[in-house]
Amino acid sequence: MALLYGLLWRLLLILVHINRALVSWVRVRLRSWKGRLWERAMAALLLPLALAGFPDHQKKLNHNPDANANAVTRNRAASRRSRWLSDGRSLEKLPVHVGLLVAEEEPSYTDIANLVVWCMAVGISYVSVYDNHGIFRKNNSRMLEEVVRQQQDLLGVDGSKYNVEFLSNSCDKHQHYVVSCRPTVKVLSPEDGKQSIVQAAQQLCRAVENKERSSKDISVSMLDVLLRESKNFPDPELVVKFGPVDSTLGFLPWHIRLTEFISIPSHRNVSYEDLLDALQQYGACQQRLGQ
Amino acid sequence: MSWIKEDELNLLEKISANILKAGPMPKHVAFIMDGNRRFARKKHMERQEGHMQGFNKLAETLRWCKHLNIQEVTVYAFSIENFKRTKDEVDGLMELAKQKFLKLLDERENLEKHGVCVRVLGDLEMLPLDLQELIAKAVITTKSHNKCFLNVCFAYTSRYEITNAVREMAWGVEKGLIKASDVSEALLSECLYSNNSPNPDLLIRTSGEVRLSDFLLWQTSHSCLVFQSVLWPEYSFWNLCEAVLQYQLNYKSIQKARDLHQEHQALLQLEADRACVAEHLQHHGNGKPADAQRRQEALLHYTTCREERIQDFLEALKHKRDSYFSDLCSKDVLA
Repeated sequence: MALLYGLLWRLLLILVHINRALVSWVRVRLRSWKGRLWERAMAALLLPLALAGFPDHQKKLNHNPDANANAVTRNRAASRRSRWLSDGRSLEKLPVHVGLLVAEEEPSYTDIANLVVWCMAVGISYVSVYDNHGIFRKNNSRMLEEVVRQQQDLLGVDGSKYNVEFLSNSCDKHQHYVVSCRPTVKVLSPEDGKQSIVQAAQQLCRAVENKERSSKDISVSMLDVLLRESKNFPDPELVVKFGPVDSTLGFLPWHIRLTEFISIPSHRNVSYEDLLDALQQYGACQQRLGQ
Repeated sequence: MSWIKEDELNLLEKISANILKAGPMPKHVAFIMDGNRRFARKKHMERQEGHMQGFNKLAETLRWCKHLNIQEVTVYAFSIENFKRTKDEVDGLMELAKQKFLKLLDERENLEKHGVCVRVLGDLEMLPLDLQELIAKAVITTKSHNKCFLNVCFAYTSRYEITNAVREMAWGVEKGLIKASDVSEALLSECLYSNNSPNPDLLIRTSGEVRLSDFLLWQTSHSCLVFQSVLWPEYSFWNLCEAVLQYQLNYKSIQKARDLHQEHQALLQLEADRACVAEHLQHHGNGKPADAQRRQEALLHYTTCREERIQDFLEALKHKRDSYFSDLCSKDVLA
């Protein structure tokens, strides 16, 4: 009997996996179909225009292909920037701090950098990036380079307006308060979670050991201040989780008490629309704060 | 209505339960029982009625968990943030809690028969004294039961719990029971209100909200989180099965992450011990660098001493907590 149930259980899992694969396949197909439909519609509309006129203009274009290519790129970037900014403004509410939790093996730096740049372009001030193996933290500089590169690609040369401030963990004590509206990116690892709480606890206990304070002085706000000292970040209002694992995997336990969790199946080849979907979902969440 | 439901599962439910049990099952499930008030609005009933229905659903869910061999359940009954609600609603909830704990004491024989141990976690001093006394009685009465465990989080938030754990460790340092260098992730876990329970394997939140609302933030760092849109009073056996299935699908990857974290913790502890030993040898040595064997012996000795210190401290902490409950009980007896 137990064998039969075992087999039925395995069958159940297989069915669930097939169901999930089917759903994600349909999602991808639907998106690309919609995309192609849009392209075809645009092409159909614009083709008559292209055929009808501006042969002289065409010749002029051909004389200066590079300059015009640059202009086109700049225009494209500018239009993208303004579109993203208006998208951000049109949302019900925009989170001040978004956490990107990558629960997948072998993260793709380009995709994460894209997400960071989109977040900033939409108007989010703080973005943190996390994976539970600490890979991003170990390759901090590579992440920085990738974000800067994507900034150039996606936002154009004027992207310098969005100068990103990277908070590294080594010189936290000398970090000044980030009150500017410059977007800030932080790369997090499991050490920033429970381990930071333990370190703060050790600090307080040492103070008690040295008779500098009493155990009765220790309060929630005191611990909160200590945990914020080395992060200088507001609590994340939203964490977007990438990957099939339904867990926070050690992400900042103290700071996520009121965080909304929205999942996107994968960060690989993630699109701006995926992110916007998540932000729109976040906009619809209502917090009652206990009341 | 009763804490214990004696219903059996129907045939289809039994078969489904058996199929699920062929895979890895969570041993400890936590519930954020959200949606009572929305349910009341939907069914055009009073809020209080919604909360009553919520309690009934809890009793039913405990029964399902028993059938699924889920030995331990933790529920978020009342948050410290909920004190912000209107006085009427808060008083109503306190009154409901009093009734329920009185009922629990009424049913103590039934609870003994099923071996149910009830624990209440939270900053209980925030509650009215008569409720505290009832809770103390309920906890002491069911203390020795060990077939299944129900942890009710009342006047609870995770941040308060973590802060309390830090305060307890600081108390230990003040009393000279432990040193500041003994503070570790493992020790902090032992000082939480939930120290008698393993971490939840599965956390379920109903009513469609996708946040943790300051519930078991430390303990659920590597748990499977399942957010379901059904309102709590409408929760069904199938909803529970769905959540358990999610847990099973995530089992391998979460286990891997847990093991990784465990390894890392052990490494950190070893490094910390080594650092303490090195400092000790430097201060008490005779200027000559210690050889590898001496260092190893010192490390072993240090680790043993540290573990003994911690055991003594945890005993003292347990005694302090038990006294809190027994004092409340004896106060009631004297009154």
